[in-house]
Amino acid sequence: MTATESDGVRVIEAEAIPTRYARGWHCLGLAERFRDGRPHAVRAFGGKLVVFAGEDGRLNVLDAYCRHMGGDLSEGTIKGNEIACPFHDWRWGGDGRCKKIPYSRRVPLRARTAAWPTLEQDGMLFVWNDPEGNPPPPEQAIPRIPGATSDRWTDWVWTETVVNANCREVVDNVVDMAHFFYVHYSFPTYFKNIFEGHTATQIMKGRARPDARRPSRGPQLLGNSSVATYYGPSFMIDELTYHYEGFDINSVLINCHYPIDRNSFVLQSGIITERSEALPGDEADKMARRLSDFIQLGFEQDIKIWKTKARIDNPLLCEEDGPVYQLRRWYEQFYVDAADVTPEMTARFEFELDTTRPVEAWEREVERNLAAQAAGDDPA
Amino acid sequence: MTVRPDVRLEDMPMRPVRCRRCGVEVLVRKASWEQTSIQWSTPSMTGCAEPPPDRHRTCPSLLESIGLAAAQGDLEVLDG
Repeated sequence: MTATESDGVRVIEAEAIPTRYARGWHCLGLAERFRDGRPHAVRAFGGKLVVFAGEDGRLNVLDAYCRHMGGDLSEGTIKGNEIACPFHDWRWGGDGRCKKIPYSRRVPLRARTAAWPTLEQDGMLFVWNDPEGNPPPPEQAIPRIPGATSDRWTDWVWTETVVNANCREVVDNVVDMAHFFYVHYSFPTYFKNIFEGHTATQIMKGRARPDARRPSRGPQLLGNSSVATYYGPSFMIDELTYHYEGFDINSVLINCHYPIDRNSFVLQSGIITERSEALPGDEADKMARRLSDFIQLGFEQDIKIWKTKARIDNPLLCEEDGPVYQLRRWYEQFYVDAADVTPEMTARFEFELDTTRPVEAWEREVERNLAAQAAGDDPA
Repeated sequence: MTVRPDVRLEDMPMRPVRCRRCGVEVLVRKASWEQTSIQWSTPSMTGCAEPPPDRHRTCPSLLESIGLAAAQGDLEVLDG
């Protein structure tokens, strides 16, 4: 049978994946891991980058391939503030200029390679990607995270996972309330999105799922509140509070990625937890590690879906779905020239979801699961 | 990628609602009494006299105006 629109059969549409990579700040991970005195190769934006820390401590990001004869700078050596090519020892500075060719009287004109503007902040390294080559506008700066540099908070617990899918899939999660129940075994009870400028926010409240977690002897988890904002195309800060019987646990979750190429990306999570009376000393660090494991499990649940799903530009939505189309309209601003960003892409849009029906349906489902578990026929 | 309109707008489009306090006009759609979509424009953003300092909040005056428009039948509620 051939499915066409005229049969009343809805056809999935998907244009080609964009050839360019999103304009914006991208986090490459914790800055510390690049400070071991060696250059690091990072596959990103369809190519290969070299990340190196000069003697001055600055982290630099260049295209990995030497403009002389194509040597791989990530296999080279750091000499002073420069990266030396392993092929002929040409020295490249963090500004992308060739500073020295030890066997030559002078450096040729036009000896310049691609350098990415970098930002080191709150323990993380960021690069600014812009296909047009413009510098990062100050209004798109990544906001500071006060807990990241405070002794009252733990250090980052960080994870990195290569995902073989286009990175639009992870961004779609911002608006996808129902998948939190079906894929992640959480229970959203409140859900709202706000898109404005280069930010996209998801506000979510949820309750614990007694059918998905084994009862623990410790304090009972009641639910969570989360305010998660994408600053640009790839870096999300989630202020995430877990509500327990008698106390709250405050954490900041980073959910970020950078594209390797059009069909793969590196998905990262970072979490810090606030030390408190309920979580003194090491307990907070233990909690941060447990939460990180939990987030990683969540990523794996997503990846299982992304691996086999179809890319779809025309999703069929019910009224209890979030604003997928408006999110994609917002996301499009990062894939067009800065001059072609339209007011529609950045204008404020608010969407509050009616969770009445989902909550009713999910309460019934949780009860059915609990009854099945009690009867010894454990579906989870 | 082409920017596509929300498929749900085929069932009911967004309608203009004027804020009773500032007079700014925004586009609104209510799929139910509890669901609200609000599309701001550049003029409506600059015209709002008292935008909430918390950018995650919806302007309470605007919400009230939307509620009133829905209650008076000026704004259709899809599943009302």
